[in-house]
Amino acid sequence: MDLKELGENLGLELDEFVEIVKLFVSTADSDIEKIKNAIWKKDAESASEAAHSLKGSAGNLGFMEMSDIALNAEKNASDNNLTGFEDVTKILTEKLNEVKSLLQKL
Amino acid sequence: MDRDGQLSILVVDDNPLNVKMLETPLAKEGYRIITANDGPDAREKAVLEHPDMILLDIKMPGENGFDVIKFLKNNASTASIPVLFLTGVSEINSKLEGFDLGAVDYITKPFHPLEVIARVGLHLKLSIATNSLIASQAEKLKQITEAQTSLLTTPDQHPKANFGVEYIALQEAGGDFYEVLPVSDEIYVYFIADFSGHDISTSYLTTSVKALLKQNCSPIYQPQESIKMINDVLVEILPTGKYLTASYVMLNKKKNQITIINAGHPPVCYIPVGGEPELIQLRGDVIGIFKDVLFGSRTIKVSKGDRFFLYTDGIIESSQKKIVWTEGADKILKACRVVKNIPIRHAPKKILEHICPDLTCLEDDIVILGFEV
Repeated sequence: MDLKELGENLGLELDEFVEIVKLFVSTADSDIEKIKNAIWKKDAESASEAAHSLKGSAGNLGFMEMSDIALNAEKNASDNNLTGFEDVTKILTEKLNEVKSLLQKL
Repeated sequence: MDRDGQLSILVVDDNPLNVKMLETPLAKEGYRIITANDGPDAREKAVLEHPDMILLDIKMPGENGFDVIKFLKNNASTASIPVLFLTGVSEINSKLEGFDLGAVDYITKPFHPLEVIARVGLHLKLSIATNSLIASQAEKLKQITEAQTSLLTTPDQHPKANFGVEYIALQEAGGDFYEVLPVSDEIYVYFIADFSGHDISTSYLTTSVKALLKQNCSPIYQPQESIKMINDVLVEILPTGKYLTASYVMLNKKKNQITIINAGHPPVCYIPVGGEPELIQLRGDVIGIFKDVLFGSRTIKVSKGDRFFLYTDGIIESSQKKIVWTEGADKILKACRVVKNIPIRHAPKKILEHICPDLTCLEDDIVILGFEV
């Protein structure tokens, strides 16, 4: 994953893209937290909403792996199926940490 | 459109990331962006700011996008504002309902900024075309019976345009004209023109061209399109045989680029910072004669400190000495080299002094307009 290249794909300069990625990190953190809370409360609707938000924002920036995982989670949560969601949040957190470390390397 | 001619877009989304993803590229194109993060905020800002377009998210907590568009279309002050809504790829029902409620188009998420720019530009053009821009402009300009006082723009009016100008009209009805126009905060247009002949009310024509520039220089039009639209109106209103040659330069400081359009005019002189002056040779038709025209165009990446000089042929042509601008342009290169270290505000005057020290050699009106990136 190369932030410069991802930014260029969107027609954005690196500094503009970095600013947006920083905003993404904070919203994604909050979305993952919402999914965790939803699992605890067995609230599939809230889990689906948070996964929907994460799917869109990750997809917009070109973080397709994260977007695909969130899409799958959104579908399952919409079917009231929260099985395996602990693992989903774990993978999403790992993927988000990869983005965070890219930002730190700049 | 704002008082200064800048087009504004209201972006409505509860997700701050989406707002930023839309705001950044659109602001770069020169639009003024207003943002709202929920339905009530969007309704209030639409009425208050009256934007030229609204990008509206459908799925928002509380009052959703459909509620907002219903309100907008039922309110006289906002009913005509084009609305593009933002929706997920699979939400076919949302798309249909959006169209039913009066939206002009939709953008699917995830969206690509360049697609957003293209769609926004297209629908703004359609919106303006719907209002019969060309026809109404031509009609209004035909009705002008009194030539208004044509005020020439001074460097103090637009200090950020960073320009200097030397203007000398030898006759009362001078045939030369220039304008410097902010298109948005970081985008400027520099325009210089020479009307054929000095026989009719040039103040009427310059006022018309000034108004046309203001109406047609906007972020939604490429420089080629702006000049084409100005040409289309002038073809309608200019007396037979009357035309103008012109150089049109648009500087976008955010993109660090300029676009030069040439309409039968002497070439722009370009001096890269630390480099040698060169002439940007472009071929193009004159303005105001033909509907089907081709203008020369070139886009160049620029750096801070680069300079450009636009001028009319009076400075380099001489009917007495039988020198035409293609030969005389060499003088401009030499003069631009000499004024390299003179502040841009004073550089045009120095160029004139260098080429024609005592002004006795002038046979025609003169405009030299220089600006620095």
